[in-house]
This record gives sequence, structure tokens and C-alpha cells, in this order.
Amino acid sequence: MALYNFKKIMVVPTSKEFIDITLSKTQRKTPTVVHKHYQIHRIRHFYMRKVKFTQQNYHDRLSQILTDFPKLDDIHPFYADLMNVLYDKDHYKLALGQINIAKNLIDNVSKDYVRLMKYGDSLYRCKQLKRAALGRMCTIMKRQKQSLEYLEQVRQHLSRLPTIDPNTRTLLLCGYPNVGKSSFINKVTRADVEVQPYAFTTKSLFVGHMDYKYLRWQVVDTPGILDHPLEERNTIEMQAITALAHLRSAVLYVMDVSEQCGQTLEQQLELFNNIRPLFANKPLLIVANKCDVKKISELTEEDQKIFADLTAEGISVIETSTLTEEGVMTVKTEACDKLLAHRVDGKMKGKKVHDVLNRLHLAVPAKRDEKARPPFIPEGARIGRKTMEVDAPKRKTERDLEVEMGDDYILDLQKYWDLMNQDEKYDVIPEIWEGHNIADYIDPDIMKEELKVKDEEMQEIRQLAKQIREKRKLKIVCSKDKDVHGPRLPRTVKKVERKTLEKEMGDLGLDMTGKDDSHYAVNARRSRSVGVAKKRKREASVVPTSRTRSQSASRPPRDQSGVRDPKMAKQAKKLMKNQQKDMNRQGKKGEADRHVFDLKPKHLFSGKRKSGTNDHR
Amino acid sequence: MRIEKCYFCSGPVYPGHGTMFVRNDCMTFRFCKSKCLKNFKKKRNPRKTRWTKAFRKASGKELTVDNCLEFEKRRNVTVKYQRELWSKTVEAMRKVEGIKRKRQAQFIFNRLKKGKQLEKEEAISEVKKNIHLIKAPHAGKAKVLEEKMVQKLQEDVEMGDD
Repeated sequence: MALYNFKKIMVVPTSKEFIDITLSKTQRKTPTVVHKHYQIHRIRHFYMRKVKFTQQNYHDRLSQILTDFPKLDDIHPFYADLMNVLYDKDHYKLALGQINIAKNLIDNVSKDYVRLMKYGDSLYRCKQLKRAALGRMCTIMKRQKQSLEYLEQVRQHLSRLPTIDPNTRTLLLCGYPNVGKSSFINKVTRADVEVQPYAFTTKSLFVGHMDYKYLRWQVVDTPGILDHPLEERNTIEMQAITALAHLRSAVLYVMDVSEQCGQTLEQQLELFNNIRPLFANKPLLIVANKCDVKKISELTEEDQKIFADLTAEGISVIETSTLTEEGVMTVKTEACDKLLAHRVDGKMKGKKVHDVLNRLHLAVPAKRDEKARPPFIPEGARIGRKTMEVDAPKRKTERDLEVEMGDDYILDLQKYWDLMNQDEKYDVIPEIWEGHNIADYIDPDIMKEELKVKDEEMQEIRQLAKQIREKRKLKIVCSKDKDVHGPRLPRTVKKVERKTLEKEMGDLGLDMTGKDDSHYAVNARRSRSVGVAKKRKREASVVPTSRTRSQSASRPPRDQSGVRDPKMAKQAKKLMKNQQKDMNRQGKKGEADRHVFDLKPKHLFSGKRKSGTNDHR
Repeated sequence: MRIEKCYFCSGPVYPGHGTMFVRNDCMTFRFCKSKCLKNFKKKRNPRKTRWTKAFRKASGKELTVDNCLEFEKRRNVTVKYQRELWSKTVEAMRKVEGIKRKRQAQFIFNRLKKGKQLEKEEAISEVKKNIHLIKAPHAGKAKVLEEKMVQKLQEDVEMGDD
């Protein structure tokens, strides 16, 4: 049941469109090819299918229209009445009825022609039957042109109606045209209703929403009502009347004290009395608007008496000015309170309340002494509550400031900073120093330590080591410089001059003075006396007589030459044996034996044999 | 604005430099240059990559435990701005920085002292082995030796006589 969802109604096509859509759909969605020579049942089936398909389409579409449009009996009487006012109930019902009839007619047509087609005996006849059926259905639809147009317009208007919830808290504004109802709703809610100096600016109902006491309230703005009897009212006024009649709301009757609307106070009072019956059972409030122009106290005696009478009857009269916003909040709070009280009363009188009331129990702690313990409401909450009621602006926002200052405005967020010293707010705070974040070092803690002293012990040794290294390098360089081509001769071949020997040894720190009768000097003299640079020659002219004399006595045997004492001889022999040990162990012939024998070549010791075993290789 | 540390080489990442990688468990990794990022993608461990600070600290080549290093620490508590506190902090920062540098240098110096010890020993051994390149072994002792030998010969002769 589409209660308040008038926006979801499907588009109603015009009759021509309707026909076009359905016929083209039939053509597309049913098989198109049929031949004379087909079997007759197949031909019949083909054409029957087309007729049924068309009928189905029309039926579906029309049913959808019928269900989408709200039934005036099913919806809230407020909407029913409103729709009656706007679209004329009879016309509406008639249009829908016509659609329904069309639907039934189409069904009947289809049924008949399908029955007839069962007796069609040729392709031509079946085709003609189908043509006739479709033609009749389309004619039926052509006749619905007016209804469909009307329904489309209704649909469009319906979807634009304001969504007024008839059951929730509502404030209804009524009064003459131009008294300030739309201005009031603009002030109180976020609605933006057109306000103009001519009468009947508002031509339909408008809704605005506002909050009060944590609840959502609807404020309904109506078009102005003129003072004439009900029968003579036009559609626009009737909307206001409908709203007044059906919505359970608080009524705010707006009067223009300054009579700028073009009506005198008496006329306004007349109207008020005329529509008084509509205010039965509704909390009423009289809003004396435009009091910035003229206050009630400035009025004449008689006019003031009017208001006095009204107040005497128990209806509160509040002076407001939508221009200066004076009194607007008071009106709002009063009206809301009154309505709330009224609603609560209504609920209390009903039956449903008892179910809830029976389940509720307010537990009150028993008094243990006479001390009064009132509820504690903190000051902040009290202030907050008050501001919420009055709805005054709490503090000046940045936006307000910006608007005020215009071009001079600079966004300065640092003024809100809460620091220890308020005068440091505009300081430039350093963040980085030499690659370190200052934020990482917040607790200062200064400490110091002493530096170590270098020690100077090793100077001498270092110096000597340095000298040694230098000398070694020098020697290496000298030896490289010699540039000997060919085999190198041992050191002993060359004769050492006495001079060089003495010089070298002198450099090394030995005392080489007075060495005339040293061994090397004597030898040098002897060799000189004998002959200069005597080559070493083998003397094998004398046949050796005994083994012991097989070698020249002057030439000692090789294992004794250069050996000072038996200790050294022993050492030499040991050295020799040590040298040989390794080679003997490895079975080598001598030092020069570097050959690695391949005792088990892989190609002879691995792999399969072509025929035979591998026991022997 | 702060200078972050590169995850790989522990170098400074200035604002506007480097890249950041955010993993699915919301761990962020900042890198100062693409070299660090590429190494990270190759899943290299910064504690084993020799040129990073992490390696140096992990292998004890640089000062790790010292109370002057405790000053620079990211505290996740905001402190409201106070002019005198900030100015004092900046002063202290300078001093701490100086001391930290000296101490780091000292640490490295001490570490390299072992090298000096080794050099010392090497020098000693060098002298012991190859002194003959500069000085003859019996450089100052020739006379003494001669006298000793002479004395010995004389003794032999005397003994022969007896």
C-alpha cells in the first residue's frame, strides 16, 4: 500500500505511446517467421501466441497503473481530502475505472479471438483473425487517451506533494494572505518558502522541520485564507482548510497587527471566528506578527480590547516580529509545549497507555531522615538546557567573524592555543637543528667528561722498526735494479772487496779499525800474492793412491766445508735428513719430482663392458 | 616536520626526500635513497650489510651504550610549548652534541688502540728478527768477546802447562 510513497508511481504513457510500445514488443518478443506450408496447428499456435502476448502486455501494464495509484479509501483522510481538493475525487475514480474497464475488455477480446482461431483453416484466415484482435485491443486503448493523460498529470503532481506525516507533531500556520506565515516558517525551520508582497504567494502547502526537546517537529505553511463561505473557496484555500481539518496539530493563527496585509483587525478577527470550528481539539495560539511596525500597546482601545478578549478566553497571544526575530522563539516553545501536553493527555485518556503504565514502576528511595536531598544538576547542564530552549547562538563562530571582517580576515588558529604562558602563543617554534629533531631532546641534562692523554712509550721502538722497513725496501729495490739476465750466480762466486766489507760492517755499527790480521784480510793478501782472480780449477792430474787421498786435501769434503764444529755438523745433517723425510714419505725421486701419477685412470676403471662382467678390467 | 631515520642505513631522511613503504601489518619503513630501498627489497639484513650504521653498532665498531645517547630519544608524549624550556633544550642540545662527538671519537680511538698494540708487537718482533739489516749483532760487543776469547786461550794454555 503506497501510503506516502507517491514518488514511486510508474510513468503513465499516452495512449499512442502505449499502443506503440505494446505492438513493437509483440513483434520483437514473438517468433516472426511463418509459412503457408507449415502444419496448420503450428500456424494457429503462432498467431494465437501473438494475440495472447499482446493481451498479456496490456493487462500487466494496466494492472500496474491501477495498483500504483493510491486508492482514496486506503490512504489517510488528510491525503484523500487533499487529493480530492486538487484532483477531484470523482474524476480520479472515473479515470481509474475506465482503465479497469479497458483492461477487462482487452481480456475478453483476446479470449474470443483465441477461441475463433482454433477453427482457422489457413494461414490467411489466422492472420486476419490476429489482425482483427490486435486492432480491437488497440482501438480500446485509443479510447482511453483522456484518462491516461489525466492520470499522468495526477502522477506528476502527486510526486511533488510535500511529505507531511499526519501523525507526528505538527505546527500549522494559518491566517490571511500576507500576514507573515511563510516568513515565520523560514525563520523557525530550514525551509526556504518564497516571501513576496503580493497575496497568494504561497499556493500550496509547504513543510519545514525543526528540532525541539530532542524531537522532530513539522511546521506546515498554508496558503492564505480569505473570508468567504466554504462553498466559494477555491482550490488553493481548500488545501489550507484540508490541512486544518485533518492534521492533529497545534494551530498558530497569524494576525497582522500593523494591517499591512490589507485587512483590518476586525476582518481578521471575523475570519478567526469563522474558522473557529476547525480549531476544535487543537491547542491554539495567536501570533500577533509585524509588531516591529506597530505594537499592541500602540493600538486603539477597541483593537486592544480584541486581544484582551482573546486572552480572556484562554488563548495566548504572543507578539512577534519575523523581521527582528523578536518573540519567534517564545511562540515556538509555547506552541510545542502546548501540543506536547495535548498529545500526552490524549494518550493518557486512551487505552493503550495502560499496557505501558502497568509495566512501569518508579522506585523512590525511602526517606531515612528529614534532610532534603534535591536532585543535583551541574551548572553546565543547566546552562546547556537553557540555551537549547532559547536556541540563542552560543558563541561567535569563525564564519561569523570572517563575514564581519570581510577582506581583512586572517585565519589565525594560534589564538585558540592553550599554553602555560599565553603570551608565547605567537612564537615561532624551532623544530630541527643540524640534522636533529629538537622534539627528541626535551629534558635537558648537562654532563661533562675529561679527555684521555696520549702515551709516549713506544717512540723508540717504532723508530727502529721504521728504519728496518726502509732498509729492507731499499735492498729490494737495489736487487731489482741489478737487472741480471740469465742464471744468477751465487754470492760466493764474486769476491768481496775488503773495502766494501769494512764499510758495510762499519755502517752496521761494528768497529772495523785494526783488522789487518783478521782472517779475511790475511786471505786477501795470500790470494793476491799467489795470483789475481784465480779461477777455481779441478786438479785431477795425480792418480789417487789411497781412498783417503782421493780428493785434494786442500778441498774439504762437501759435508765438512763451511761447518765449524761437530755441533754444527750434526745440525746440518739433521737439516738434510729433514728435507729428505717428506720426499721419502711421498715416494718421490727427488725435489724435482712433481709428477702426479694417475694410478687408476677413470676410463679404465668405470663404466659397463659391452659383453662380459666387470670382474676383470 | 621531523627528520626521520632511514630503516636500512639509519641515515637522516629530510622532509621531501626518500620513500616510505607500508606493509600490510601497518609497519612503515622509510628509506633515504633508492640504494637502501633496493637492498631492502632484496631482503638483505642491515645488521649484516657492512656499510650501514646498524652493522657498525651491532658489531661493536661504534659507541652504543652511553648516557649521552639517551638524550636523543623519541618520546611519544607531547609537551606543550614553553619558551624557556625550548631555549634551554636548544642550548643543552648543542653541548650534548659536542660531548657525544668527542665520546664517539674516543670510543673509536680506543678500539683502534688494539691495532697500535699489535703494531707495537710487530715492531718489536721486527727489531728482534731483522736488526742485522741495520746493526751488526755484536756491534758494541766485539772488543768484549775478543777479550773473553783471549782469556779463555790463556786459561787453556795454563791448563796445558799443568
